[in-house]
Amino acid sequence: MDHKMSRSPWVIHYDGSSCNGCDIEVLASLTPLFDAERFGVVNTGNPKHADIFLVTGSVNAQNLPVVRQIYNQMLEPKCVVACGICACSGGVFRDAYNVIGGVDRAIPVDVYAPGCAIRPETVIDAIVEACGILDQKETVMRAGGDPLTVGGAATWDGGVELGEDGFVAAAGAGAGVDAGTADGAPAGKPAAPAAAKEAE
Amino acid sequence: MTLLYFLTLFPLVPALGMLLAHGDRARDAVGLIGSGIIMAVTAVVAVMFFGAGPQSFEVAPGTSHVLSIVSSAIDVILCVVILYNAFKYRNALTTVLGIVQLVGSLAFAAMTLPAAEAVTATPLYLDYMSVIMVLAVGIVGSLICVYALGYMKDFQAHDEHEAALRGQTAPDRRPQFLALMFLFLSAMFVIVTSDNLEWLFCGWEITTVCSFLMIGYTRTPEAIKNAFTQIILNMLGGIAFLAGLMYLHVNGMPLTISGMIELSGAGTAQSALLVMPVILLSLAALTKAAQMPFHTWLLGAMVAPTPTSALLHSSTMVKAGVFLMVKLSPLYAIYPVTGFMVTSVGAITFLLAALMAISQSNAKRVLAYSTISNLGLISACLGVGAPEAVWAAIFLILFHTVAKSLLFLCVGTAEHHIGSRNIEDMDGMFSRMPHLTRLMMLGIMGMFVAPFGMLVSKWGALVAFAQTGNVLMIMVLAFGSAATFYFWGKWLAKLSGVDPTAQNVEVNVHKTEWMALNTIAALLILCCVAFPVISSGLVSPYLAMVFGRVPYVIGKDAMYLMVVIVAFIAVVLLTSFRVSNKPHVNVYLSGVGTDKYRHFRGSMGHEVKAEKRNWYSEDALGEKRIGPVGSVVCCSIILFALLCCAWIGPERLAMSAPSVLRGKYFEGSGVVGIFIGTVAFALLAPLVGGLIDGLDCKLSARMQGRVGPRLLQPFYDVAKLLRKAPASVNTMDDTYMACALIFTVVGGGIFVSGSNTLLCAFMVTLAAIFVVLASASTQSPFAQVGADRELLQVMSYEPAVLLMSVGLYLATDSFDSIAVTGQSAPIIVYSAPIFLALLAVLTIKLRKSPFDLSYSHHAHQEIVQGVATEMSGGTLAKMTLMHWCETVLFLMWVGMFFVWDNPVSWVVALVVMAATYFVEVLIDNTFARSTWRSCFRLGWGVALVFGLLNLMPILVDVFI
Repeated sequence: MDHKMSRSPWVIHYDGSSCNGCDIEVLASLTPLFDAERFGVVNTGNPKHADIFLVTGSVNAQNLPVVRQIYNQMLEPKCVVACGICACSGGVFRDAYNVIGGVDRAIPVDVYAPGCAIRPETVIDAIVEACGILDQKETVMRAGGDPLTVGGAATWDGGVELGEDGFVAAAGAGAGVDAGTADGAPAGKPAAPAAAKEAE
Repeated sequence: MTLLYFLTLFPLVPALGMLLAHGDRARDAVGLIGSGIIMAVTAVVAVMFFGAGPQSFEVAPGTSHVLSIVSSAIDVILCVVILYNAFKYRNALTTVLGIVQLVGSLAFAAMTLPAAEAVTATPLYLDYMSVIMVLAVGIVGSLICVYALGYMKDFQAHDEHEAALRGQTAPDRRPQFLALMFLFLSAMFVIVTSDNLEWLFCGWEITTVCSFLMIGYTRTPEAIKNAFTQIILNMLGGIAFLAGLMYLHVNGMPLTISGMIELSGAGTAQSALLVMPVILLSLAALTKAAQMPFHTWLLGAMVAPTPTSALLHSSTMVKAGVFLMVKLSPLYAIYPVTGFMVTSVGAITFLLAALMAISQSNAKRVLAYSTISNLGLISACLGVGAPEAVWAAIFLILFHTVAKSLLFLCVGTAEHHIGSRNIEDMDGMFSRMPHLTRLMMLGIMGMFVAPFGMLVSKWGALVAFAQTGNVLMIMVLAFGSAATFYFWGKWLAKLSGVDPTAQNVEVNVHKTEWMALNTIAALLILCCVAFPVISSGLVSPYLAMVFGRVPYVIGKDAMYLMVVIVAFIAVVLLTSFRVSNKPHVNVYLSGVGTDKYRHFRGSMGHEVKAEKRNWYSEDALGEKRIGPVGSVVCCSIILFALLCCAWIGPERLAMSAPSVLRGKYFEGSGVVGIFIGTVAFALLAPLVGGLIDGLDCKLSARMQGRVGPRLLQPFYDVAKLLRKAPASVNTMDDTYMACALIFTVVGGGIFVSGSNTLLCAFMVTLAAIFVVLASASTQSPFAQVGADRELLQVMSYEPAVLLMSVGLYLATDSFDSIAVTGQSAPIIVYSAPIFLALLAVLTIKLRKSPFDLSYSHHAHQEIVQGVATEMSGGTLAKMTLMHWCETVLFLMWVGMFFVWDNPVSWVVALVVMAATYFVEVLIDNTFARSTWRSCFRLGWGVALVFGLLNLMPILVDVFI
């Protein structure tokens, strides 16, 4: 009974940019049909209440600050689950001009849950997986340690910084990343899209 | 005696000094010294009174005669002043009324002055009521004068600035203004110490004319128009007063208050004639107390500089009206038609003014409607003419004086520093003017929440109405209180917002203003804390003296408990006491918030400020809609009463009102009992409540055909919340939430210990207010919407909850929950309709769908969580615990209806509670969330229909 966190995983979900398939599946997994409440899962819709952050879709310049803000407003111990292949790596959109990459370009991801679209069973499985990380964080915190030494945050490279103009700086641009890893620079774009947008 | 003369005449010295003094410093000196001496003399009078007891003072016939001549001369001079102004501004109606009054005054003087019997042996007196009023006028009134010194400097500077912009100069009329304020105090002292009605009338007219001149201070067209409204309406009252005096004199009746009361007891043909002067004097008192249809003058008086409003509303002017009614109240029971007029007009004014206050956003107008509303309640109590009701009325007068003056002065200062008196502009005031806002919040709380005097007095009024079988008044009070709760609550919520980026703008508030504000705030707390002492030392002896019996309204233990809670709230609010020292985080703005306070990135990348406006419902509750209704109804009542007097023989009107006094006077279980109850409740309720919550989730899951969470899931949730990292958007919300939890637990403790159920309901309401404060203080738009809805929900269910206590009282003659165990039958037998009303509002109270407007417990919701939006970790855990305690308490309220002196009944009650909760879960899972309108309609509808259904037999019973 020492672990309190895993018994009450409250989630918040955010859809970055995708075909919306994963987002529908995430919500489907929270319906009575799959009965995620068996594990104490509650969809709070509020980062201040939530323990687990379910993100679907890839990250772009528009939603990167949003994802970051929601993440920052969650209180430790907290966990991030990248739901679906787009959230894991950018998926089929990884080479699109506006896509920066997976969720780990914005925030540290603890659990990568692939699928296109992700299946509800995978979502629930990922949440249960995240619960384990929550418990680890809790243990570390109770010992007076830093929760950021546990899970995805421990090996996170810091992701992408947006420039003053709200776009990814040219210097930080590079190749995309593979699902499940956090190495490599993000698939950012040089100044061209910025100029294109301004032209619009 | 000499002291009394000194008290009355001394304020004329600073008044004169103001006219002669040149420059701010001289005026400050005169004002401070003058006010200081008045306060000191007031204190001396009070101390000497406590030594000597109530007494009447003899005045030598010669002196008395001279004074009568002087007072008649003053009356005539005042008429001339009015006529001068009426001519100057060409106001025809005022001219006509002025001439009528002038002729009347002269005729009356001609009648009484030559006659020797006009000389009263003891024209002056000092009794308990006078002392209360002398203290109120002397201390609060003088403090307002002190405040005016600083305030008028800013006012004048502002005027000069405006005038300079127009290329004119603003005349400095401050000396006259300040002189009028002191003259006002002098007139009030005359009113509260004169037994001789002629002298009282003189003081009465001085206050009328003084306020006329003060309202017209700025000489703007609006000010002049409103000043004339005031003088016309008050002159109607003055003429009624004069007519009453003439009637008394012509019929050879004594021209003193004590004489009238003595005569009324005689039961002779002459005493029957008293009904006419009583009704005329009451009419005069109603105009002065700004009751419908005369209320418009008090609203118009808002154009005057704030010290005027403070003076008119709190200690003087309107209080003169209710003071006269206090004096006449023993007569209302003897002449029911007069009592009927005063009570009905008061009750209607109380309810409608409270509703109209909801539609107002101008702070001073809200205050004005609240004054009218409270004066209505005071009048309604006084009209009953029973000591229980008069007890409540006197306390209402006292607390209203203190709290209202504090509020007016706060609003005046705020207006000069934030540049607006609109409540919507008071966003973030808590940070912009930290000290002032805390005082203002204290003042608002002083007006409407439980442990503070005003609500205790209202409680007294409810008990009094129940004891005297005034069914309609019970209903009016239940609904009026709910409306009062709402308009104060939303203002309080607005004030509480903490804005970390705000600049402190209260650094250059004048010292004299602070002096007055702090002293009155201290006085407010002192009065609340000294409540039991004031009750036993001043009010009860007065009632014993006048009515011959001491009322029992509120138990001693309840009073002590309230004293403790007042002190507790004062500490929380006024000290920089903090429970939390958590890291600061920004409010949630859907992930698009920017670094700037309350701003978010809107479409096209623009920064937009998130704002939230209050709910006013101008279309339904606007003054244009409600005002005329009230005026017409009140006019009809007054005309009806007058016609009764004119047509029906007076001897038939002089009969005692059919009133039955009920009440067994339980003392509850005492402070110790409440303490034990609270501890027991604090230990058990969270356990039971959490379990109920778990069962609820399980049951809901089964209804949806799934397994659902573990039974103990709610406990797991709370345990988790307590382990989350601490964070808070401000330093206050956790403190407020802790208070809310404590008050809920105390409320539960009161109930389980078998004490007063009304007190229990008030504690729950107090907790609701603190939840609202906690969420509104975060300045998050989501939380503020939640707070607003929470207030609406409280307003919706409040009448039914108050009626629940009344239902208990009907069956057991006691408000104590323990009383049910002594009954031979469960109270459901007597109060079935009220029980149904309670059941209907239980869904609102438990925040179950379809009424989970402010907060939802549900797992499947997609909206941000209303009041709880900004709460996290420990704060959210406290909120959850509070809900559990509330659930247990509300279910116990339901169970109470099924308990009687048979032990088996406890089982019955438990079964009913379980069945009720099952139905609630069923409702929760069946209906989609509805609108606040249907919530409001349901709450008020069931309370009105079922309440009347249950209470009507009593009304009829009295006549059978």
